[in-house]
Order: sequence, then C-alpha cells, then structure tokens
Amino acid sequence: MKAKFSAVIVAAIFSVVLAGSAIAEDINAYMGTSPDNNAKIAKFIKDKTGITVNQTFQSFGEIEARMKAEAPNFNADMVIGCGSSTGFLAKKSGWAVPYVSPAWKGVPDVFLDPQGNWYNIANFSFVLVANKDRLAKSGYKMPESWKELADPKWKGEILMPSPLSSGTANMMRFSFLALYGDAEGWKFIEALDKNIAYYTRSGNAPTDLVGRGEFTLGITSDENVKKRLDDGYPLLWSIPKEGTGYDGTFAMILKGTKKLDACKKIIDLLGTPEFSELMAAIGYVTPRPAPNALYGKTLPKYIKLDLDKASDDKAKNNDIWKQKLRTDFK
Amino acid sequence: MATAELSLKLQASSGSRIKDFLNANLINILAAILFLLLAFFLLYPIIAVLLKSFRGPDGFTLKYYQAFFSKNYYFQSLYNTLLLGVINTVVCLVIGFCLAYMTTRGPWILRKPLKIIALVPLIAPPYLFALSLIILFGRNGLVTRMFDLHWQLYGFGGVVISQTLAFIPLAYMMIESTLMSLNPNLEESAYDMGASEATILRTITIPLLAPGLLKAALLIFVMTIAEFGNAAILGGRTPFLAPDTYTMITGESDFNMGSVLSVVLIAPCILIFFIHNYLLEGKKFTTIGGKPVASEPRKITPLIKVPFVIITTVAAGAIFICFAVVFVASFYKILGVTNKFILTNYLDFTSNQAIYNSIRVSFVAAVIGAIIGVLLAYVIVRGKFFGRTFIEMVSLSGFALPGTVLGIGYLLAFSAPPLKLTGGIMILALNCVFRFLAVGVEAGISKLHQIHIEIEEASADLGASFLTTFSRIVLPIMFPAFIAGFIYTFMTAIVSLSAVVFLVSPGFELAAVKIFDAAVYGEIGIASATTMKLVLIVMICMMILNYISNKTRLGSGIAKKPA
Amino acid sequence: MKKKGVAGYMDSKENEKPMLILKDIHKFYGANEVLKGVSLEVKKGELVTFVGPSGCGKTTLLRLIGGFTDISSGDIILDGQRINDLPPNLRDTRICFQNYALFPHMNVAENVGYGLKINKWPRDKTAARVRELLEMVELEAFGDRMIDKLSGGQQQRVAFARALSLEPKVLLLDEPLSNLDANLRLVMREEIRKLQERLHITTVFVTHDQFEAMAISDRLVVMKDGRIEQVGSPIEIYEKPANEFIAGFVGYVNFMDGRIASIEEKTRDAVIDTEYGQIGITLQQNDINPGDDVLMVIRPESVNISLNCGGGRQNVLCGSLKTYMYAGSIAKCTVTIGDRTMIIDQYNPRDAQHFKHAEKVEVEIPRSVHLLKKK
Repeated sequence: MKAKFSAVIVAAIFSVVLAGSAIAEDINAYMGTSPDNNAKIAKFIKDKTGITVNQTFQSFGEIEARMKAEAPNFNADMVIGCGSSTGFLAKKSGWAVPYVSPAWKGVPDVFLDPQGNWYNIANFSFVLVANKDRLAKSGYKMPESWKELADPKWKGEILMPSPLSSGTANMMRFSFLALYGDAEGWKFIEALDKNIAYYTRSGNAPTDLVGRGEFTLGITSDENVKKRLDDGYPLLWSIPKEGTGYDGTFAMILKGTKKLDACKKIIDLLGTPEFSELMAAIGYVTPRPAPNALYGKTLPKYIKLDLDKASDDKAKNNDIWKQKLRTDFK
Repeated sequence: MATAELSLKLQASSGSRIKDFLNANLINILAAILFLLLAFFLLYPIIAVLLKSFRGPDGFTLKYYQAFFSKNYYFQSLYNTLLLGVINTVVCLVIGFCLAYMTTRGPWILRKPLKIIALVPLIAPPYLFALSLIILFGRNGLVTRMFDLHWQLYGFGGVVISQTLAFIPLAYMMIESTLMSLNPNLEESAYDMGASEATILRTITIPLLAPGLLKAALLIFVMTIAEFGNAAILGGRTPFLAPDTYTMITGESDFNMGSVLSVVLIAPCILIFFIHNYLLEGKKFTTIGGKPVASEPRKITPLIKVPFVIITTVAAGAIFICFAVVFVASFYKILGVTNKFILTNYLDFTSNQAIYNSIRVSFVAAVIGAIIGVLLAYVIVRGKFFGRTFIEMVSLSGFALPGTVLGIGYLLAFSAPPLKLTGGIMILALNCVFRFLAVGVEAGISKLHQIHIEIEEASADLGASFLTTFSRIVLPIMFPAFIAGFIYTFMTAIVSLSAVVFLVSPGFELAAVKIFDAAVYGEIGIASATTMKLVLIVMICMMILNYISNKTRLGSGIAKKPA
Repeated sequence: MKKKGVAGYMDSKENEKPMLILKDIHKFYGANEVLKGVSLEVKKGELVTFVGPSGCGKTTLLRLIGGFTDISSGDIILDGQRINDLPPNLRDTRICFQNYALFPHMNVAENVGYGLKINKWPRDKTAARVRELLEMVELEAFGDRMIDKLSGGQQQRVAFARALSLEPKVLLLDEPLSNLDANLRLVMREEIRKLQERLHITTVFVTHDQFEAMAISDRLVVMKDGRIEQVGSPIEIYEKPANEFIAGFVGYVNFMDGRIASIEEKTRDAVIDTEYGQIGITLQQNDINPGDDVLMVIRPESVNISLNCGGGRQNVLCGSLKTYMYAGSIAKCTVTIGDRTMIIDQYNPRDAQHFKHAEKVEVEIPRSVHLLKKK
C-alpha cells in the first residue's frame, strides 16, 4: 500500500512537471508591446509560419532588467518588442545573434541595424489622452501645450508611467529634456510631478485607467489608443503643439537560442509589408509604409532626439528623478 | 536451559548494539544530505544577495549602502516600511486580542461565528484586501461614487488598512492559543477575590499573556514589512521597501541596489527571528497540564464589553464586506462602471491557464516540501549530532525571510549554468518548498515528540532494521504531519506573490501574478474572479486538512512519558 | 475543644442558623441536566464534603456556589441572603482550585495579599494580614518566593492562605489534595482539617477519594448523577448506607441476598434466610419487617476467617480460599462460597503461613449487619 502510494506520488510529480513541455515548433520570446498587442503579433506569427510564440507581457524596463540579469544565458529565444536602449545595449554587449534578413531590404536606415543585431518593427510615440466625460465635467478644455499640464488646476488628475519601469516614460522624459534643455526640462518635470496622481508600471496603463474614468488626463504610449477607441472608451487624444518624442520597438535574436531557424523565419516575417500593415492598423509608425490607423495621413510632429544619448543617460536620469521628486508618506 | 536462553539473549543484544551504531550513522548521513539541501536552496541565495550588495563592478564596495543611507528617497522607503510595521502590529494586536477574548470568554453564541470570521482572511491571498479596497474606495469605487469621497486610497492609508485586515487572523490565532492555555482558574480566582473584569485584565490576564503577545507582535511586524502585494498595489506614490525592491530589480535592473534594499529588509526579520527563538523560549507563564479547555462565559462589565464588542464588530464587518465585495465584483467587468452581470470573468482563458500553472507548481512544491519537512523533523528530533539546533533554525528561517529577498536570491543564484534553474517550473517550486518548510517541520517535530522513542526501540528489539522501523512505525505515525506540511505548503504556495513575481518566465503565468497585473491595470473583474477561484481552492485544502487532523487526533498522543 | 480564633473568627454562638442553604438546585447544560434538584443545609463551621464518582456533579455544584456557573433553577442562600444573581466577586465565598491557580507572575506574599490589595486595604494592614496568614499556614519565611519555586504542598498552603485572606463566610475547596502524592496528601489533609476547625470556618470540600472524605468531614454528601444519594456523618454513611451504590462507594463491601424469616420483638434478634443457610443478626433498623427481601451489607473487615471448615454453627459458612494477599498488618482474602466470592480483610493476620496454603476455610458473618430493603 505504501509502495503504491509513493509510486503514485512520483508519477504525479513527473507528469505535472513534464506536462508543460510542448511538442510542436515553438519559441520563447520577451515581448513588451502590450498584452493585447503581444497576443496579436503572436497570432500573426502563428498564422503565417506555424510557429507558436510563448510570451508573457512585460514592460520595456522589465525586459531590459531581465536580460541584464540573465545574460549571457537567456531564457528566451528572441525579443520582439523592447526599447531602443535595450537594443543598443544588446548590440554593445554582444547579446544578439546578428542576422541580416533579406526580407528587410528597402527599409529606411533608421529602422534597422546594419549588422543585423536589431530590427525596429515599429515606432511609437506618446500622446496626451483625456476622458471625455471627466473633462466635460471639469469644464476645462483639452490642453494644447505640454506646458499647460503643469497648471495646478490639474492636480491629482494626471497619470503617467514611471520611467523606472516603463520604456515609454523613459522616452517621455528624454523627450522633454531634449525639448526644453536639461535645466528647464527638469523644472518642467518637477512641476508636472505635482499634478501626477501616481506613476503606473507600464506605458499603456494610463490609456486604460483614463479610459475607465479613473483620471482625467494621461500621458501615455500611443500603442493602445486606437484599440481603446475601438473598444468604445470615451477617450480624446491629441499631440500638443510642441510635438512628441518617439522610440522604436526592437526585435532581435538572442544568443544561445536553439531555435535559430525559427527565429530567422520570424525576423523575416517582421519585415514584410503585411506585418507593417498589422502594426499600422494598431497605430504604430512602421518600417514599410502602411496606412496608420491612428494618425491617418499626417504623421505627428517629432521632437529632435538622440536615442543613443538617451540610452546612455538613463541611469543618471533615474537617479536624478528619484532624488528630485516628492514622495509623500502618510 | 535457562543459561542457554540467557546466552542467546546476550548475543542478540550485542547484535542490536551494532544495529544502533548503524542507525545513528544513517541518521547522520540523512542529516548531512538535508543540511546540504538547506544550505544550497536557502542559505546560498541569501548569501548571494548579501554579496551582491557589496560587490560593485570593481569589487568590494560600500557605495551602494552609502547611496541607500544618504539618499532621501530610500530613507523614506525604509521609514514608511517600519512605520507601517509598527502601526500594523499595534492595530492587529488590539483587534486580535479583542476577538480572542470574545471567543474564549464571551457568550457561547458569539464564539463560533467570531472565530470563523477572524480566521477567514487566511484562505484569501493577502492582496484580496487591496482589491476590495479598490472596488470600494478606488477612483471608481462604490463608496467613492456613492458619497462623493475625496479620500485618496492609494498611499499609506490604503496599505495600512489592507495589511491590517490581512494579518488579523495571524494575530488572532497566536493570541487565542495563549489565552486558551491560560488556566481559567487564575482569572476565576482573581474574580473570586473581588476583582472587576477590568482589574482582572490589567493585573492578571495581560501580564500573563505578555510573552505570548510579544511573540505575536514580533511575528506580525516581520510579516507585514515583508509582504509585497498590498504595498505594491495600493502604495501609489508612497514608497515601501518590498515593492521598491521589485521595481529596483525588474524596472531598473539594478541588482546591487536591489540587494541592498533586500539586506535592509532582511535585517529586522533575522533579528526578530533570533529574539523569538532564543529569548522567548521557556517563558512559560501560563501553561497548565493537559489540553486547554474553553472557559465558561463570564459576565463582562460594560466598561470592557462595549469597546470590545465595537472593535470586534467593526473588524468582523470589514472582513466580511471585503470578501463579499470581491465576490460580487467577480461577476462584473468593472463593478460600478459596467453594470452588466457576466460570467466571462470566470471563463477567462489566460487566468484559468495561470491557475492551472499555479496548481502545478504548488503541487510539486507541496510534495517535495512535505517529504523534506518530515525527514528534517525526524533528523532534528532523533539525531544526536552536533548542530541539530542550527539545522532546526535554518529550516524554520525560510518563514521569516521576505519573499522578495528569496526571489531575488534565487535569481542571482540560479540563473547561470551549471545551476541554471531560471525559466522553469522547478525554480518556482523549490522557492516555495524552502520558504514554507517550517510548517511541515514543526508539525513533524510535534508529532515525533508524541511518539516516545521507546516505541522505536521496541521495534528494533523485536528485530526490525532501522529502515523497517522507519517505514512501518515512524512514517505511518508521522503521516498526519506529512499531510499537514503538504497541504499548508500547497495553500501558501498557490497564493504567494512576493517571490514568484521575480521568477516567472514568458508564457508561464501564475495566478498570483495575474491577479496583481490585473489589479494594477484596472481589470477588476478578472482580478476578482481569479481571486475567488484561488479562495475556493484554498478553502477546499483547509477542509481536507481539518478533516485529516480531526481524524488523526483520535490516534495521537501515543505513549507519553509517565509524569 | 478550644477554638482559638484568628481575628474575626470568634467562637460563634449562632451555630443553629445554617450558613449555606441550597434549595432544589437544577442545572442544565443545553439539554443535559447535570444537577437534578439538589437541596442541602450547611451549618456554620461545618466541613461538608461532596463526594461521588466522576460526572456526579459535585464540582459543578461547587462552582455554582462560588458563582462561576449560573443556576438554571433553585436558590442559594448564604447567611440569610439569596445570592443567585451575584457574581463571584460579590459573594462572600472563596474558592481554592485543584491546581491552586496561584498567580505565577507574583510571589507568595503578593498572591496572598491580592484580594486585600484589590479591595483597597491600606498597605500596612495588608502586610500585617499577609504575615498573619503565612504564619497560619507555616510559611512565614516564604513571602518573597516565586510560585514556581515552591513544592506542591507549599503551593497548596499558599492557595489556602489566599482563600482565607478575606475571611469568607464559606470556603470552597475543589479537590485541593488531588495533585499531591500519597504521603503529602495524608499530612495536608490533617493540616487543613486542623486549620478549618481552629478558624471555625464553614467549608465545602469536593473530592473523589471517599476515604479522604470520611477522614476529615463533619458530614458527607454522596452524589450520583446529579442527585444527592445520602447526607450524613462519615459513621452514618459507612455503617448505614442508604443504598447499594453508597455502600459500594464508600468502601469495599459484600452483598448477600436474603429474606427476613423472623424478628424477635424484645431482643431484636432476627433470622435471615439466605442461600447459604440461616444467618442470625441483631436488627438495628426499624423499617424491616418479617418477610422483607433484604440485601445484607457485609464489610470485609467485619468477617472472621479461620482455617478448617468445622460444624455448621450459625453464621458460619464454609468456603474455599481463592486468594490470600499478605501485607503485614492486613491480609486481603477472597473466599468462594457456592458461586459467590466474598472479600475479607483480616487485620493482624494470624496463621499466615497456614493460610497461604489453605484451601478450605470458614467464614463467620457478624451479627451486626446493615440491611438494605429491596424494593
């Protein structure tokens, strides 16, 4: 009786542990667009190539942290959707498997690395969103300049992601710094901070929370705005007159992957016009020209940015950020 | 004839002396193996964290600690955490005391219901309360909208309330068990002498309970400051150490600072763990021989009765409301905003997948944990080697350590070959095993104390080998302890958030993390439904545990040593 | 007998009025009736013992008097005052628990003085009284000791002193000696009785040890299943038990069935027909008539046992010796007569050597035997 019992237990453990191992062709990927968009991209890949992409949503910051921790023994085969800083870091550190994909021929230079270490599958920006009902109730109009957000009348009503965890917020921060210069830029950030209710973990969260009516305004990534509008959320959005920043959404093959062929196939797929159409339909600005669902024909006005410098300054900026901004207790 | 018998007996006894020798060695070998496991999976990760806090890119440095103690931001985080711990402890103790007093000295009809309500939060993940507070008092909360409140839930206040509610059962259980072991005759004597209820409390009850209360206070403090979920969800702009550690690692990938924060978080835990074990042992003020007996209800004067009743009612009411609210919210997309009753939350695929994963991980953890726990208990009680108490202490220490720290430790220790475990199910399971080892070990130890060693010696005398004795006598008697360890590890593993939030890998979501994500994202319906599913699972586990422990109590208490 | 009283306990001239009256007390725990109509009067200065098997309700009754349990119905009257609704701290009774319930975080003096302190006695008076009490129980030097440093007997005495500190009208002792070892019990038993008599304090004592009960009590209250079976002095209870249960409870006993054949009016000589022949006794009871079916209560120590079965004298029966356990001052025997077994205690046993190997013995039934009428 005892022997049987223990045999059952052992069998149970084994089956439980092994049950996870899948059989068909599949890869593990770190993807940081948004839970919905991750799923869309994974489905697209599966439909077109038959490869299953195992992924869980993590923000850009989290992906970068994970890669730093895991290097050089990554738990994933690929990254599909990380920030530019991560891409540059990966190239510098030799984390990526260089692969020059023929499918990306003809794409503007800003969207890929000449050595094939990374590919930018989509540019995104940040926008200002507002909840229609709350805005109406407040009696104010949609701000037309970023500077307006520092007005005390918005106290506690603005949401923004945290640059400590979100790549989008990092982009926002270095965009403001680039726009106003270092000294004025930090002044603006500090003034803005007084109106921020709290900083969200991911760049897309403000879209949802403002859409649900929890807050009036949000500075958020533009990735999810189109979808939420389609979902029926009462959102208004705009790009204030100074313009907006931008960042890439990078993909690369990670060193140590045992599924190199599958990864190459995917990289190739990402360079196709169909994929760009998919991303554009979400609202991204894509490597291949495609009708942008969010912006339509007129792409936003961009602030001039040096992405490399932004990547290098990130740690320093994080430090200053933590020092300067108030944190209240009680 | 007699002499022949006698000589045979002598031969047999010298043979058994050889057997004894082997047995002792077997135990020692087992102990050594277990200790290696403990050292590897418990001590090594902690040391890794400790080392990382000192190791910069250029070798040993104190600069991270310098940064920690000089930067205002971190200091505030530490201050908030400690303040939270103190407030939480005090409030929980007061509420726990009132509840325990009412269930041990109050009117009969109140006792069972109060006890159930006091213990109910145990079946819920601690972050259930954060969720319920969001539903009620969040920006779109029911109460917020009904009364047009302007109270900011996110921040210190929200965290204190949710943490307090989550830890009431812990306070209650510890105080209740001390109260139960308090000889009711003591209070009755004082009563008899003319003391009023208030005087009895002041001069007799509380002074005698003091060591127990102190123990409870220390434990609650440690668990509060280590708890990740509530502070992360409701913290808002107020920094706390546990969530900060998380952001440091997963957001900024700064393992050095993350380790420093972990060390700072661990320090009070370890300190308190020592105080708990060494200073408070043997302070037995109150025990009577035999089983604790429920004392009869007393006429409690209004002076005491009224505040106690108020406190218990408010606490019980709050707990009930929190559960009710989450239950109701699970049937709506966002309660208060979309008012359509739906069942799709329960059918959500990703959260069901996550629960399935959590069950798998917890099951593996529970099996391994229970086995190791029972073996450890045996080795600790029966072993005669040096360092026994040390092993016991280490096996129990997992409990005292903040989950975040062990999570980071495992990340640091096991992400590179030859020890690469990250990315799989085993690292999650092992993490849970060693964190929650204490229960299986404690249960095993207390069960073993009930079995007098003479039983084992009798078995050996009758000719059984060590292994036979172990498997035929010891194991069956220890079976309840095995089950207790199994079920407890399962229950705790399935809801635990703090450590696993670092160790999940792509495509393998866990229920706790899913709830956390959903709550932060505002997907209240999904968060509530997943939470309720977890609650259901835990409830079932508890019922099984209860059933088994009731059944085996009839067979317990074998051959106690005569007084 | 000299009754030297400590302050407050002077010789009472009001010995007639009962100090404690229990009137038809019922107690229910849920549907379970634990006390089924208990009535009793206790005189001032008396030591009355509730004795009976486990579950008879004696401790419940004690706690009821003390006020720790509510009465379901009935009355308790203490010194003329009905105290049903008074909580323990307002009744003038003091209880001493089986496990002494000494406050472990206080020393001896603080324990004894606790009652005084919370009744707001001035400090000097308290100190004096504590000293007095400690002297009374012979623990003067132990004032500073912590409770866990005392032996069982010493703890018992401290508990006693504490209970007496406020001069209660009734002292309630709940199996105070049960936790002591056998020798200490005998010693403490005497001490308690002496002290109780000296102070002339009304005491209700509860024990399951019938011998202890008989040794110290003025009266015994034998209880069974929530009812009082018999109240009487130890001698009455032992020699004239009211029923089979009591007879068997307070000591060892042999029962023999019989029928009254005849009663001689003047001498009160009676003859009882039994299966073993006729037994002659001297009747001491008035309620027995010829023709009654009776049960003879024969105490083991009252039977004479001798070797060799002789002729058929009256009251002498022949039997075979089954066991003979010699223990110096006493030999405990069992003798089979017919299909019955009789227990016989032989004090100052003679011919022990012979008895050890004897097989046939003769047994003499005494002439004074208590009879229980069979219904």
